Amino acid sequence: MLTHGRPFLPARWLQTAIAVFFIIAIHLPKAEAASMPPETVLQKWYTLSLALIRHTPTYSPPVASRALAYLGVTAYEAVASGSPKLQSLAGQLQELKPLPPREAGKAYDEVVVLDAALAAMMHDLFSNTGPSGQQAIRHLEEELKSTAASTDSTPETIARSEAYGQAIAAHLAAWSHEDGGAVIENMGFPWSYELKKGPEHWAPTNPLSRQQQVPLLPDWGKNRSFAMPAGASCELPPPYPYSEDPSSAFYKDALETYQIGKSLTPEQKAIAFFWIDDAMGSPTPAGHWISILIQIAEHDHLPLERQVDALARLGVAMADAFIGCWHEKYRYDLVRPMTYIRRVIAADWTPFLLTPPFPEYPSGHSTQSGAAAAVLAAIFGDPYPFSDTTRERDGAVPRSFNGFFDASKEASISRLYGGIHFRAALERGFEQGKCIGAYAIALKTWR
Amino acid sequence: MIFYRLIVSLFFLLLTPMIAIATAQASDGLIVPLFEDVTPTSGITSVYKGDWQYMVGGGAAAFDCNGDQFPDIALAGGEGAASLFINKSTKGSALAFERFESGIELNRVTGIYPIDIDADGITDLVILRVGEIVLMRGLGQCRFERANEAWHFASTDAWWTSFSATWEKDAKWPTLAFGAYINPKSEDNPWGSCTENQLFRPNEDGNGFTKPVALTPSYCALSMLFTDWNRSGTPSLRVSNDREYYEGGQEQLWHVEAHQEPRLYTEAEGWKFLKIWGMGIASTVFPNELYPSYFLTSMSDNKLQVLNGAKPDTSPAPLYKDLAYDRGAIAYRPYTGGDLKPSTAWHAQFEDMNNDGYFDLFIAKGNVDRMPDFASKDPSNLLMQRPDSRFQEVGDVAGLARFATARGAALADFNLDGKMDIVVVNRRENAAVWQNITPNAGHFIDVMVHQTGPNRDAIGAWLEVDDGNHITRREITIGGGHAGGSLGWRHFGVDSAASVKMRTIWPDGQADDWATYASDTYYFVQRGQSARPWSPTAGQ
Repeated sequence: MLTHGRPFLPARWLQTAIAVFFIIAIHLPKAEAASMPPETVLQKWYTLSLALIRHTPTYSPPVASRALAYLGVTAYEAVASGSPKLQSLAGQLQELKPLPPREAGKAYDEVVVLDAALAAMMHDLFSNTGPSGQQAIRHLEEELKSTAASTDSTPETIARSEAYGQAIAAHLAAWSHEDGGAVIENMGFPWSYELKKGPEHWAPTNPLSRQQQVPLLPDWGKNRSFAMPAGASCELPPPYPYSEDPSSAFYKDALETYQIGKSLTPEQKAIAFFWIDDAMGSPTPAGHWISILIQIAEHDHLPLERQVDALARLGVAMADAFIGCWHEKYRYDLVRPMTYIRRVIAADWTPFLLTPPFPEYPSGHSTQSGAAAAVLAAIFGDPYPFSDTTRERDGAVPRSFNGFFDASKEASISRLYGGIHFRAALERGFEQGKCIGAYAIALKTWR
Repeated sequence: MIFYRLIVSLFFLLLTPMIAIATAQASDGLIVPLFEDVTPTSGITSVYKGDWQYMVGGGAAAFDCNGDQFPDIALAGGEGAASLFINKSTKGSALAFERFESGIELNRVTGIYPIDIDADGITDLVILRVGEIVLMRGLGQCRFERANEAWHFASTDAWWTSFSATWEKDAKWPTLAFGAYINPKSEDNPWGSCTENQLFRPNEDGNGFTKPVALTPSYCALSMLFTDWNRSGTPSLRVSNDREYYEGGQEQLWHVEAHQEPRLYTEAEGWKFLKIWGMGIASTVFPNELYPSYFLTSMSDNKLQVLNGAKPDTSPAPLYKDLAYDRGAIAYRPYTGGDLKPSTAWHAQFEDMNNDGYFDLFIAKGNVDRMPDFASKDPSNLLMQRPDSRFQEVGDVAGLARFATARGAALADFNLDGKMDIVVVNRRENAAVWQNITPNAGHFIDVMVHQTGPNRDAIGAWLEVDDGNHITRREITIGGGHAGGSLGWRHFGVDSAASVKMRTIWPDGQADDWATYASDTYYFVQRGQSARPWSPTAGQ
C-alpha cells in the first residue's frame, strides 16, 4: 500500500540514482583516462637506470653517480617546466644554460613531457649498454608511450609534449657531453699511466686483472662539477704522513684496519656486505642512496614535485661528491691498506672485500654517503627512520636506520670492516661529503 | 728427419710470405702452426642467425656419424636450421664437407653435443635450444631421430645454453646436466631472471631418464663440465655463469655423487667466491701435473685456474689460483687489428696445434652485439704453450686473425693428417674453416677409446702419454666449451718421439699397463684388448 500510495517516489529515486550514475559514469572515463601517475613513470625509469648501472661495464661508481645526477636534473626540469611551484636549475648548476621554453598558450601533457625527457636521456646515458639493456630501454619506452598519456590529450598535445620532453633531454644531454665524463674508454682505466714512485703511493692490488694495473679514472676530479664550483671546492688536509714506524699515526691506523679485519664479527661482515656497492654487482654507492630515496618516496607517497626535487639534489650531491673525492684521491695518491699491511704488518693478510683499483684517501663511499645524508636530512629531517631493502635480492638482509646520518655512518665504517680503508679516510671523507652536500642543499628549487 | 723438415720448411718459406713469417717465429724454438682459411672451398655454409636470444650459443660438434673415422660436423643455426656436414676429406687432402639432411635441422638451436646415450655404438646428439631440449638418437649413416619420448626425457622450455654428461657409478645410462640462461619471456627486465639448471638421472627401468632434479641456485650457466678435478674417481660438475644476469650468484662446483642429491661445494670446503662473465670452460692438465686446470672465458680478463696447494697423497680442496696473467693466457684484448678495447671470449679448447707435446689454447672471440665498450674487431686467439707452461700468442702469424664475431668452435683433425684443424661458428655470418698446414709440426698419436656396455666412449677415462720428455694427461669429458664439443679421436702431439708410452685409466679407475705405441698412428683402444693401430688409407 505504501508503495502504491507513493507510486512515483521509487521511480523518481531511481531516476535520480540513474542520473547520478550517469554523471559519475561520464566522469569515470575521465578518471580512468587520466594518465599513468607521473610518480609511476618516474619510478619505472629510475628502476631501470639502477639495473643498467649494474649491468653496463663502464658504470663504475663515479660514472654511475654522474648518470644519476643528469637523470635527476632531467626529471626535475621536465616537471619544473610545467609546475608553478618549481624553478629551473639553469644558472645554478655549472654552465647550465636556460632550457628551451614551452610554446605559450599551448597545452601539454605533463606525464608525456616527463616520460619523453627521461626516455631520451636514458638512451643517451646508456647508449653503450649491452643488447639486453638496449632492449629493456626500448620495451619500457614502448610500454610508457602507450600508457602514459592521458586519453583526454589530443594527438597534437601528445606530440607537442613528447617533442618538448625530448628537447629538454637534448639540451641537458648536450650540456652533459661537455663535462669531461661523457666518454669512458677501457672501462675507465687509462691506456697509459705512470704510477707515482714511493711506498706511500697507490700500487696495483689486483694482480689478476691486466686492466687494473693502472688506477680507475685518474682525471675524474677534473670533471665539471654540478652544484659545487669545482673538484677542489672541498679540499681535505693531507692524510697522516706515511710511516712504517709503529708509533706513527699512519701505522696505528693501518694496524686498526688489520686487527679489525682479522676478527670480524658476523654483524661487521653483514655491514660490509650490505654496503659493498661494487661496480657490476650492485647499483653502486650512488645507486644505493637513490634506491633508498625511491623506497622512501614510495612508502611516504611523496608528491611528484618533492620527488624530483629530492632526486635532483641527491643526484647532484653524489656526483659532486665523487668529483671532489676523486680530486683528493689523485692529489694524495695514497697506498691502500692491503699493500701497506702486507708489506709492513702481515704478508698474508687479505681484506674481507676486494680492494678497489684506485687510491685510498679519502673513502669514496664515505664522501658520497656524507653528501647524501646531508641532502636527505635537509629535505626530510633527521632522525627519519627507514628500512632499506636495496640489497635483498643479492642475499643481504634488509637493514633499518634511525635516519640518514645513522645509515651513512654505517656505510662509511663498512669500508673499515671491509679492510679497504684506514679510519682517517672515512672520517675526513665523511666531512668532505657534508661540505659538498651543502652546495646541493643551497640550490633554489621551490618558488 | 731434421734435414727433411728443413727442406720442407724451405719449400714453404718460398711459397708464401705468411709462411715466411711463421718460420721466422720458429727461431726461438717454437713451432708456429700455420693455418689456411679454406672456408670458401670447404663446403660449409652455416650462419648462426638471430637477435637477442642468440647473442649467446652457436655451438659446433665434431664427431664421426658414418663410421669412416673422419670427424663430421654439426653446427647450431640459431633462428635458422641446425645443419650437419659430412666430412668428405681424405687423408691429408683439402678439407671438404657436404651438407646432409640428417634430421637435426631444427630451428632455435643454440648448442650441440655428441654423446652415445643408449650405448648402441652410434653417436647420438644433445641439441640445446631456445625452447625444448631435443635428444636425437643416432641411426647410423648420419641420420638422427627424436628420442625424447622413447627415452622418457621430459624437457621444459627454456633458453638452454650448456650441457655436460657423466656416467655415475654402475649406471647404465648417463646423467645429463643442462644449464639454462635468462628467462626468454623477461625481455623487458632480464636481470635476475636466470632459470633453473637441471640434472637428469637414469630411471630405474633402464630405458631413459627420471624427472629432472633442479640444480638451484641457478645463475645463467653458459658452460658446464663434469670433471674429476680432484682425481677422486667421481666427477664433480663445474658451472660457469654469466654475471651479467644473475643476482647473488657466482661460479659453481657441484658434488654429484651416486644416489645422493647434488650439493654445492662450500666456502668451508675451500671453494672460493668468483664472479665473471662465465662463457666457456676448457680443461687441461699441465705437463707432469696430476690435476686438471681450467680456463674460463669471460669478457676482458679470462681465468686460468690451477689447483692451489695440491700435495701428493692428500685429498685437495677446490682452491684455485688464477694464473692467466702470470702465464700469458689472460687474452684480455685484441692482439692485432688496432682495436684496444677489451675482448669477449666464448669457446675455449686445449689441443696441441703444433704437435710439440704441449696443449695449446684456442679461444673464439667476438663482441656480444655491438657493445661499444668492447672490441668489435676481436680476433680469436691461438696461445701456444711453452715448456715452462707459459703461453705465447700466435693467432696473427698463424693466419687465424680474422674479425668475424665468433662463438662456438670445434678443433679436430678433420683430414686425418695428424694436425688439428679448426671450425668456428660465427654470429650473423658464415662459419669459418681453417686447415692446419703447419709444415714442420711434430709427431703425434691419436687415440679413440671404447669399452663395452654402458658409457661406450669411456667418458671419465684418463689417457696418459709419456713421450720421454714429460707425461701428458688428458681427461675424456663431454661438456664444457661454449655450446658444443667433440667426440672421437683424442690427439696428442709428441714432438720428435718416434714412439711413446701410453696407458688408459678407465672410468672405474682400473689402469691399463703402460705400453709402447708408434707415433704418427691412430689407435683404437678397446678395453681389455690390445690397442689396434689404424690408418686412413689413401683416398679414404
